[in-house]
Amino acid sequence: MIWRRHLSTGQGYKKISIVGSGPAGFFTAYHLLNKSKIPIHVTVWEKLPTPFGLSRYGVAPDHPEVKNCEETFTECARKFISDKHHKFEFIGGVEIGNQIKLKDLLKSQDAVVLSYGCTGDKKLHIPGETDTSGVFSSRNFVNWYNGHPDIAQDPKLLDFEWSKVKNIGIIGNGNVAMDIARILLSNRIDAIWKHTDISSVALECLRNAPIENVKIIGRRDFVHSKFTNKELRELWQLERYGIFGKIDKEYFHDGMFDLSQFDRAFKRRVEMCSEYLKPFTQRKKNFKKFPIPSPSDVYDKRTWELDYLLSPIKINKCPQTSRLESLTLSHNKLALPENKVIKDEEKADVEYPMDLLITSLGYAGIPLEEFNALGIGFERGHVANKQGRVLTTTNDLYPKLYASGWIRKGSQGVIASTMEDAFEVGDRVIQDLFVQPSTTESFDINLGKIRHTTWADWERINRQELKNGKEEGKKRTKFLSIEDIMNSIKS
Amino acid sequence: MFKVTIGITSLLPRRMASSSIQASTTLMRQHIFNSNTKLTISHFSTSSILRHGHLKKPVPGEELKVTFVLKDGEQKTYEVSEGETLLDIAQGNDLDMEGACGGSCACSTCHVIVDPDYYDAIPEPEDDENDMLDLAYGLTETSRLGCQVKMSKDIDGIRVALPAMTRNVNNNDFK
Repeated sequence: MIWRRHLSTGQGYKKISIVGSGPAGFFTAYHLLNKSKIPIHVTVWEKLPTPFGLSRYGVAPDHPEVKNCEETFTECARKFISDKHHKFEFIGGVEIGNQIKLKDLLKSQDAVVLSYGCTGDKKLHIPGETDTSGVFSSRNFVNWYNGHPDIAQDPKLLDFEWSKVKNIGIIGNGNVAMDIARILLSNRIDAIWKHTDISSVALECLRNAPIENVKIIGRRDFVHSKFTNKELRELWQLERYGIFGKIDKEYFHDGMFDLSQFDRAFKRRVEMCSEYLKPFTQRKKNFKKFPIPSPSDVYDKRTWELDYLLSPIKINKCPQTSRLESLTLSHNKLALPENKVIKDEEKADVEYPMDLLITSLGYAGIPLEEFNALGIGFERGHVANKQGRVLTTTNDLYPKLYASGWIRKGSQGVIASTMEDAFEVGDRVIQDLFVQPSTTESFDINLGKIRHTTWADWERINRQELKNGKEEGKKRTKFLSIEDIMNSIKS
Repeated sequence: MFKVTIGITSLLPRRMASSSIQASTTLMRQHIFNSNTKLTISHFSTSSILRHGHLKKPVPGEELKVTFVLKDGEQKTYEVSEGETLLDIAQGNDLDMEGACGGSCACSTCHVIVDPDYYDAIPEPEDDENDMLDLAYGLTETSRLGCQVKMSKDIDGIRVALPAMTRNVNNNDFK
């Protein structure tokens, strides 16, 4: 490990720093390096010692194919680290805004792209949300089972009594909610998890839970569900393990929708639900690919349910232990013409008993502390920008500063849409660099004694994780703490 | 020469999307694949295939032809072997097609629009491909994922267009 380095001040290179090494940051770097005709020096900064952000710590462990973008990033890094035309550098374990100020970074670079994603949680803002044992945000829960060093060994999760978890509520029905439902429902199916890179300490906890039912609760109706068809299909397909789904007739039944009004994805979603809700033998062939076990063969009965038009209003806990006992919800209705959610006063509140509650309302963008002082605009959970060019608080262009991915648009969209976004923003950076004179101020970022990782360090960490995984018959065994990561490259 | 500008449909409210998909498909038929449309001179560049290791060199006499209509309307025709996917062919020839998931049908970045004359000759898409196509920008009725379409004698001469990502009027840009 190298302890003292300067960001090289190569003559003739336009210098671009990217803040964050997740798909948004890395796809921006990839595009810049592949498309720029003028020589550039791209530095990707990452808060953690390890790269890839949500691809590594967000994507579900049973979706390894979604993480294949990491191969593209690795190929890109290896190629441009020793390229004749451009330069590439990865600096891990350094937080922009903390050890290195954004202000200084802007001084030293020709362009800075903010790609640090959404680092906070959207909240319910109801009583009991933060002080009840058994209530977790989706971000924390996902980071936990993916071995994120910030939370992988958090006692709140490790010491929670998983053996008492039978009924689960998930608030929100985006793909993260679906991932969480799938992982919880299949917690004891080794065939799914054994070979993945799921955190083994998390899996051990989860396996203890004798789960019976998972409710996926949306505040709007079926039409406004946020999940995509792939994730919904995966849930239905759990029936081959004896895990069955249902939707109340009030929220979904055949012939409920005038399909000519809807797009293809919705039509397919309706068909999928109609078919899977039918008895097995009566379905079209695409919906009976995997035989389902007969009820007598299923020893622990498990169900999941899509629930709609409900808003949580109160989390109820045991006064002695602070443990979650139930969730009170009020009914909603949608008011035309804009389908605004309003409380349905005619229906009485309901109380769902539950042992685990996951709030999956989406990730929230958090402004860097320096934004205020620098006059950088930030609104509705993302950096104020016009086509990726960052705006000031007074809506003028902020010189040299860009944003891509979730911190530009909010926490929506799959890796493919983040890629498109990163490419578009990359194009604008290149466009601007062509006309903009190079930074005249010769200011140099000095990493001094700041402990950090390089790309070569990551390659070593990666090899070690893959090796440890192989020994355990898994794809990879992630290091679960910063200390373990850094120790692996000490010698 | 013309510029294909689709992708707009993804910006419309869900309820409007379906009719505009049909509209854009009609446009496709009229513009991209109409042989009367004046296109840029097509390049025959079989030589470039040899540069790339992972594309097999076709056995003489068994070459299959595939034509890509690029985002700017230019056409490129290649001679390839049976079994190569459209994604491999495009990437092997440095065309602008990404395979973010490495060709494993887990994203929609290798979306192509197939000439309707060839569409029915390709084996039908599986559910997982359709699930991904649901998320593709500028979806048409003859859209496929490049990673799932393998060259065969049945589709010799196939023509596919790369959708242009002209999302200049994205709502987010005005936020």
